[in-house]
Amino acid sequence: MNVLEIRNLTKKFGDFIAVDNMNLSVREGEIFGFLGANGAGKSTTINMISSLLRITKGEIELLGRNIVKESKFAKMNIGIVPQDLAIYEEMSAYENVSFFAGLYGLRGSLLKERTVEALDFVGLGDKHKALPKSFSGGMKRRLNIACAIAHRPKLIIMDEPTVGIDPQSRNYILNSVRMLNRMGCSIIYTSHYMEEVEEICTRIAIVDHGKIIAEGTKEQLKSIITDTKEIWIGVKKEDALDLEALKRISGIISVRLEEQTIKIVSKAEINNLNWIIQQLIKDQVEISSVEEQAPNLETVFLTLTGRNLRD
Amino acid sequence: MNNVLWIVRRSLRATFRKKSSWIVYFGLPVAGILLSMLVYGSSSGGDLKIGVINQDGDRALTQDAIRFVEGLNNVKVTMTDEASLKKDIASGKLDSGLVFEPGFADSVREGHPAHLNLVSAKGAEVTSYVKSMLDSYIGNVASIGLATKDDPQAFESIYADYKQAGFKLDARSLEDTSKVKDMTNQTIGFLLMFLLFSAVNMTELIIKEREDRTFLRLLSSPVSARAYVFANVLCTLVIQLLQIVVTLLLMKNVFHIDSGIPFGEMLGTLLLFSLTSIGLSLLLTAFAKNSKNAGALQNLVITPTCLLAGCFFPAEIMPDTVRKIANFLPQRWMLDTIAKLQDGQSFGSLALNLVVLIAFATAFTLVAIYRFSRNNDVRQFI
Repeated sequence: MNVLEIRNLTKKFGDFIAVDNMNLSVREGEIFGFLGANGAGKSTTINMISSLLRITKGEIELLGRNIVKESKFAKMNIGIVPQDLAIYEEMSAYENVSFFAGLYGLRGSLLKERTVEALDFVGLGDKHKALPKSFSGGMKRRLNIACAIAHRPKLIIMDEPTVGIDPQSRNYILNSVRMLNRMGCSIIYTSHYMEEVEEICTRIAIVDHGKIIAEGTKEQLKSIITDTKEIWIGVKKEDALDLEALKRISGIISVRLEEQTIKIVSKAEINNLNWIIQQLIKDQVEISSVEEQAPNLETVFLTLTGRNLRD
Repeated sequence: MNNVLWIVRRSLRATFRKKSSWIVYFGLPVAGILLSMLVYGSSSGGDLKIGVINQDGDRALTQDAIRFVEGLNNVKVTMTDEASLKKDIASGKLDSGLVFEPGFADSVREGHPAHLNLVSAKGAEVTSYVKSMLDSYIGNVASIGLATKDDPQAFESIYADYKQAGFKLDARSLEDTSKVKDMTNQTIGFLLMFLLFSAVNMTELIIKEREDRTFLRLLSSPVSARAYVFANVLCTLVIQLLQIVVTLLLMKNVFHIDSGIPFGEMLGTLLLFSLTSIGLSLLLTAFAKNSKNAGALQNLVITPTCLLAGCFFPAEIMPDTVRKIANFLPQRWMLDTIAKLQDGQSFGSLALNLVVLIAFATAFTLVAIYRFSRNNDVRQFI
């Protein structure tokens, strides 16, 4: 059964089409990765799912019910973990969770129980009296999650929940996502960290210019790009490196330089490594390593959109 | 409605948890009362202190005139010299000075009183009482002098009878309510300004919550944008109600300023102004792009309009043009309503004032709603 069904969804801001006739479904019990560069249309889509933006055209169904016609039902069953922290700094962790849970109609002992449960879940049970301003970035992110789950939504939308936090908090959050999923929640997960998406998502959709350009499991997506390969060349003294000259080599799709590593996506059937190395020698670039990468989501994204996810 | 009350509860708790809120919402109105008392309290009550210089020697008529002044109610006479008089008036030790110049007695005897000077640094407020009483006394003696111009004996005889009979003056003190009215008006003037500031402070929260994204979380819950704004308005109204009640109770029971208006009428009128202030704050919120912008607009609008409307000093002392401009300000209409209620007009007879205040509230709110609905910048917060 699909928890979420999006059909022909369109959103226009004046003449600008932010979401263009999008079709998408999220199945019950899955962690659905939603990938797209900045401005691709993912936040607009998420805001329409959360009833924060009006739909220009198309429809969205949550658990088989139209979210526009049954907005209250939809809101009761969705939990939002926004990219930016949405918590009150002047209220304690307990008060934050309790206040937001109260907006979903929880009161009395049930409210207390769910608040404590949510705080324990994100590992802030012992910090319930503390004000968020005394929290680390990771703890604030966890509180941000607790505020979204206390009312036990069926669908949780997590928009970049691990931005700017330490590895320990990131692991905690990723484990929490898995645990929520095991508890029966369906999750839509967006992130700029491709390895996170690859690690926890069961299915992934790539959105670009307001359209879904690919959708499927990791394996399905990787299979799309069997006609390409990625070569990483470690370099030193890359001052004279001519990237444009590399791009002109036959079969090369894209070239980028990241921290002394030249990352080249090339057509698989063309053996052009010889030409690449010759060009680097000509540019007097010192080569430290050469390796061919197995296809990953980053390569898939780059191949399909022509952009890096962090662009 | 449950969610509206839930949001109001949170906002009130968050507001009153901050010590600064207590100072802003209750401390400042009390400071306003104290300031008004300081301004109007200093010029009220006490005897009129008059310094007398007698340059006319031991003439009986002059001595009698001085005794007459000494006999007046609430007047304290000090005999002095010219140098001390100027110094004491300047330093405030004396309210005014009476100089009997040489020839005063003769001029009165001849029926043409002259050579009497009344000096003051405070103007007619302190001289008019003594002047009118003295004019009357000297006028009578001068009339006797005129009628008996060529007959000194007749003058002495009639004057002696006049002195013996004197005239019966039945003086009763009436309570001077003008100062209390001025004090009330000024206190209410300050309160109006603080009501405006508290309204804007509260609705600025809407902008702040947009900026820190809690607004997004609120609206993704089963709370509509309308309910959210309504909750903020309700919260502001509760705080303003508390501000008004506390200020009025302190005025009456602690500072003993009797406004002369029944508590209920005063409360009702001020609550009407609260609605106007909330309308204005929604308008400022609608036009502000961020909280800094809202703060700037608040300072740009509230303080100058309060100044023009007469919240800080009586409108009567302002130029005519300024008073005409003030008619376009809700604070002016509010102060006018208070003044009319103090003059004894009934609540029912002030329909025009009340309608104007309601019109201000409605107009501000409608423009704000229109602006909110047309404002595409709202997108920047989502």
